[in-house]
Amino acid sequence: MDVKLGELSSWILTRDFTPKGITGAFQRGYNRYYNKYINVRKGSIAGVNMVLAAYVLFSYCLSYKELKHERRRKYH
Amino acid sequence: MLSRVVLSAAATAAPCLKTAAVLGPGALQATRIFHTGQPQLAPVPPLPEYGGKVRLGLIPEEFFQFLYPKTGVTGPYMLGTGLILYCLSKEIYVITPETFSTISVVGLLVYAIKKYGASVAEFIDKLNEQKIAQLEEVKQASIKQIQDVIELEKSQQALTQKRHYLFDVQRNNIAMALEVTYRERLHKVYKEVKNRLDYHISVQDMMRRKEQEHMINWVEKNVVQSISAQQEKETIAKCIADLKLLSKKAQAQPVM
Repeated sequence: MDVKLGELSSWILTRDFTPKGITGAFQRGYNRYYNKYINVRKGSIAGVNMVLAAYVLFSYCLSYKELKHERRRKYH
Repeated sequence: MLSRVVLSAAATAAPCLKTAAVLGPGALQATRIFHTGQPQLAPVPPLPEYGGKVRLGLIPEEFFQFLYPKTGVTGPYMLGTGLILYCLSKEIYVITPETFSTISVVGLLVYAIKKYGASVAEFIDKLNEQKIAQLEEVKQASIKQIQDVIELEKSQQALTQKRHYLFDVQRNNIAMALEVTYRERLHKVYKEVKNRLDYHISVQDMMRRKEQEHMINWVEKNVVQSISAQQEKETIAKCIADLKLLSKKAQAQPVM
């Protein structure tokens, strides 16, 4: 990455945390993903696949609280 | 480049603009400069052919490249296997009946994609190509139309260069008309002058004729007056004698 680990805190402080800045950050992230995997001539299914996998993981994390009760063993 | 033209035009126009106070705002407009930077994205760059590479349909290639220096080729796979076993053993991922349905659905999807992916991609590519070909046609037609208009404009501009033929023809016509009227008038003048001169000549002729006639009449009258009776008798006798001589000669001639 372009930011070194030691400079991470100072780099985070330079970021723009206004609503406009956060919107801009989401827009930039979306545009980056879109232009790399979807807005191409011969796109593969991986572009959509990664988004779906991320959604699956996210929804699993959200419903982990109920799934905890269906564990087979109590102590791991 | 256009800015330099505007500046030079403004500089040459500035003296007259300064004198004309009414054109004050016009001077300000003329000195503003537009479009000085290089045009960016002017021919829009074409779309990349393929997207970023992804392994197993889920994990981008950059992750594998990131781990390659430290762990070699099998590193990320080992990491994946270890993470999965850890999640299973610690029951961070809980095996429920849903797991089996998930496995069957995912297996079916993978099989379907592996089998029919290529043909579907071809079909969609063909559709895309058709769309692009249509747009290209429109673009080419528009370019051709604009080129035709340019050709027409150029030919019409060339026509203005040939206007002088028109003017030459008109000039020739006018010159001929002038020549014709000049000759007509010349002829008229000649006729008139000849007319006058003929009149004088005929007057002179008539005068001479009249004088001649008068003179002849006068001479005749005088001669007749001057012939007395005696002279008349002598001449008649002489005429008779001459006639007798002539008749004798005439009689002698046929005999010979």
